[in-house]
Amino acid sequence: MAKRVDVAVIGAGPAGLAAAIAAREQGAENVLIIERAEQLGGLLPQCIHNGFGLVYFEQDMTGPEYEKAFMDRAVDMGVETQLETMVIDLDEKREITAVSRKHGYMKFRPGAVVLAMGCRERSRGAVGIPGTRPAGVLTAGTCQRFVNIEGYMPGSRYVVLGSGDIGMIMARRLTLEGAKVEAVVEIMPWPGGLIRNEVQCLHDFGIPLLLEHTVSFIHGEERVEGVTVCRVDAQRQPMQGTERLIPCDCLLISAGLIPENELSRRAGVALDPVTGGPVVDQDRQTSVPGIFAGGNVVQVHDLVDWVSREAEVAGRSAAVFADKGRAKRTAGIKVVPGKNVRYVVPQLISGAGDVTLHMRVKEPGLSARLDVGGVLKKKFRSVRPSEMIVLDLEGEALRKSGIKGELVVDCDTKGSG
Amino acid sequence: MPDLETEVLIIGAGILGAATARELSRYKTDVTVVEKRADVGWGITKANVGVVCQGRDTLEFRPEYHRTRLLWRALPLMEPLCEELEVPFIRVGGWLLIRDQVKKEKLDKLARRTESLGLGSDKYYAYSELRELEPFISPEIKGGLHDPEIAVVHPVYLTQAMMENATANGARLMLETEVTGIEAEHGGFTVRTDQGEIKARYLINAAGEWVDRIAAMLGADDFVLFPIKGQVGVLDRNCSELASSLLAVIPEEPGDMNIVVPTVEGNLLFGIQLQINRRHDRSTTEHMTRLALKNARKLIPDISDKDVINSFCGYLMFRNFEIGWHECEVAMSERVPRFINMTIGYPGVSASPGAALEVVEILQKDGLQMEPDPKFNPHRKDIPDFSKLSDKERAALVKKDPRYGHVVCRCETVTEGEIVEAVKRGATTLDGVKFRVRPGTGRCQGGFCGPRVTRIIARELGIPETEVTKAGRDSTQVPLRTKQLLEKGGRDG
Ligand SMILES: Cc1cc2nc3c(=O)[nH]c(=O)nc-3n(C[C@H](O)[C@H](O)[C@H](O)COP(=O)(O)OP(=O)(O)OC[C@H]3O[C@@H](n4cnc5c(N)ncnc54)[C@H](O)[C@@H]3O)c2cc1C
Ligand SMILES: Cc1cc2nc3c(=O)[nH]c(=O)nc-3n(C[C@H](O)[C@H](O)[C@H](O)COP(=O)(O)OP(=O)(O)OC[C@H]3O[C@@H](n4cnc5c(N)ncnc54)[C@H](O)[C@@H]3O)c2cc1C
Repeated sequence: MAKRVDVAVIGAGPAGLAAAIAAREQGAENVLIIERAEQLGGLLPQCIHNGFGLVYFEQDMTGPEYEKAFMDRAVDMGVETQLETMVIDLDEKREITAVSRKHGYMKFRPGAVVLAMGCRERSRGAVGIPGTRPAGVLTAGTCQRFVNIEGYMPGSRYVVLGSGDIGMIMARRLTLEGAKVEAVVEIMPWPGGLIRNEVQCLHDFGIPLLLEHTVSFIHGEERVEGVTVCRVDAQRQPMQGTERLIPCDCLLISAGLIPENELSRRAGVALDPVTGGPVVDQDRQTSVPGIFAGGNVVQVHDLVDWVSREAEVAGRSAAVFADKGRAKRTAGIKVVPGKNVRYVVPQLISGAGDVTLHMRVKEPGLSARLDVGGVLKKKFRSVRPSEMIVLDLEGEALRKSGIKGELVVDCDTKGSG
Repeated sequence: MPDLETEVLIIGAGILGAATARELSRYKTDVTVVEKRADVGWGITKANVGVVCQGRDTLEFRPEYHRTRLLWRALPLMEPLCEELEVPFIRVGGWLLIRDQVKKEKLDKLARRTESLGLGSDKYYAYSELRELEPFISPEIKGGLHDPEIAVVHPVYLTQAMMENATANGARLMLETEVTGIEAEHGGFTVRTDQGEIKARYLINAAGEWVDRIAAMLGADDFVLFPIKGQVGVLDRNCSELASSLLAVIPEEPGDMNIVVPTVEGNLLFGIQLQINRRHDRSTTEHMTRLALKNARKLIPDISDKDVINSFCGYLMFRNFEIGWHECEVAMSERVPRFINMTIGYPGVSASPGAALEVVEILQKDGLQMEPDPKFNPHRKDIPDFSKLSDKERAALVKKDPRYGHVVCRCETVTEGEIVEAVKRGATTLDGVKFRVRPGTGRCQGGFCGPRVTRIIARELGIPETEVTKAGRDSTQVPLRTKQLLEKGGRDG
């Protein structure tokens, strides 16, 4: 027999934990987190480096430290968790099908659901690197799990494709483990992760960062024996005559994250083709009533602090929905990415109440001026696609502006960053 | 001294070797299969689109061809075979399409021939009718002939099932055993392998890409094989609605194979991009991927590069031009008695049950005593596929064996129970598990489950994780423990 649940949270990463705590704070009685892994924390247990919590706790913490703060909180607040339990189905009526070795095959029909499934990495196949198919090609996150959790090394001489945060952090981690990282190869003219990681993980360790380069071929029959690296032109196509062979026994791929929305799709949740996550409103409600979402499942965040904040909104709203059986629809105004803006989350706002906007630019630039529909203007010394911009928009200002229908966000820049 | 003696030795555990082993296991004959790789079906058979063609889809299937005879012989056998072995066989139906009206003549000719050969009557649909059935087809397609019989199988599953059934019925399988030399002497052969010597009375050469090399070891290479590399792309499961049947454009020039095929798993494959190549080169190329995509979009414009989750390639081995581009061979060598070559270019999967029967007949005709084994059991039970079961079946299975409640691969919903069973059935590597129960074939390509599957394999085989390989030999996944490099560095300097 299925237990009564007010709010069910799928995923126990920082998003799921924060959402569950917020739902309890908002008064939801039974809050259950369902997590497929053997422990709480999502990605954080394997992120043993520092750099977490700078915004939320104003402290420099490691992943496990940050996670512990939330875990203790959740336990104190009486959040229930069910580990090693995988949600395999979710439908538009919020019926959850889950399965586990311990608890068997289960169904839940909670008052509200929070999606907090995080994201997955783009694989070799998705990046489409030609060549042979030897062992020793893996994503940076998989390598991180092997090294930091399982205690195994996939190789001793590495090339990293992609300069996302995970790639750069792993380049440093592997160097500290005694491995040689020959290069981090990035197809764009700018690095894909935070500047702080570029400095602390690459420059400080003398690891070359090859911008506007790509891996054009993988060599080796059984194990990777090397990769061909070459320059790319303005269309990001390999340039003939610039190829160079780098011997190595491992290629790490760190070429971007994709929000994990297979369950959302099954429930009929509308997805945003740009973010890869659900279209959400100010309350982080998706297009399916009673299904909310927060964290990397909505958009790939670079800082965990924003993940927690976003998920708190989702958790609170879910508790309200579970209590009332419905939520006020807040789909008044559509937020539209304008000049040099790739996306803005949430995609829908009510026009009342304060709201935090998350966005990314398309191209880097200096002396950036961000204009949110004339309601809010802000200057930045520089903007980069890899660094998410977070802006607080006051409900009062929005109301006064009388904006209806659409709110266009533009970002003007001078010169390239 | 030979390490082993056997009556019939099959070289190669591809689909042809496996089909032959299974057919021979009906008899009390002593059969051994040697395979150089760590698992069965990893040669050309792995790099394949799995269409059970019906022998009426091109004009090149001429009744006078050996390969056509093999194919037609095999066709009625395929579905019952898949039933006995519990491997999926899905009649998806197929379209032979044209891009310009001039080609309509060729379709009419094919349709007339199909009728006259008594193979059924295929109906022509113009684009407007076709669109009702396959709404994503490009409006540039003028129309097409529909063949309702076209089916798909998973060639590796079928090979594994046949091999499993053959060994259950007494055949011997030796993996990671490579044939390196052969001597013919009176009454038999001495076959040298990297695992020792094998004496055999009959030798069946089903070495796929390397059939000519094996034949050359005996001086029986009175033929030439042309390797044509074919590259195939795989689309995400989310695209499955784009095509529900085999879509093929009638070749505009020879060797032009523009197709989109649904797999038994519900992915779509596209290709086949062909290229003459050195055969040991198993690499995919960007150029071929791009060409294949471009072609696929001419068929279904909605296919996007973002949906490509993988690509692979294999070799179609064609015989000499003189005897017909598409000809094949399943025959006793004219130079060396008791040595049988098996090589089929395109319809190797479809024709495999027919080819196996032919080998049995050749052996019988040659005087090999083959007494039917009354204990032969044609059935084999498949590994339960958790993802495809109903709610009730799932609940019952998890109750019976809680390991089926532990989902290890999230993309494909593969449970620990299935992985353990795959190891029991002979998988010893990550690819071996992947090609039996699919962890790592989904969108994340093993990113999430890789470490977990590695751990289960190590545990089930009782070996350290550092010895678990991707595909045998030196392809270890995590060759070192952490700190090992540091310790080494510390000692060296
Ligand atoms: C290598 C790396 C380094 C990072 N470094 C920093 C840093 O220095 N500073 C910083 O602030 N941020 C950093 N981040 C970012 C931060 O870790 C992520 O933004 C954050 O972990 C995302 O949280 P989440 O809860 O949305 O997702 P996750 O942490 O991925 O959690 C999702 C959870 O959902 C579970 N789940 C998914 N599907 C199901 C299902 N069907 N059933 C049950 N459970 C399911 C998963 O098992 C997982 O536990 C880093 C990220 C990575 C990958
Ligand atoms: C891209 C592509 C698409 C195709 N699509 C279809 C299709 O849709 N339908 C269809 O019917 N056919 C198709 N085919 C053809 C079909 O795949 C082949 O005809 C068939 O798989 C050949 O099987 P095989 O057993 O001869 O070869 P393999 O599968 O290559 O088996 C030979 C085995 O011999 C082993 N071996 C080789 N040398 C040695 C040695 N010295 N010692 C020990 N072992 C050795 C190899 O490791 C290998 O496992 C396609 C082929 C390609 C390339």
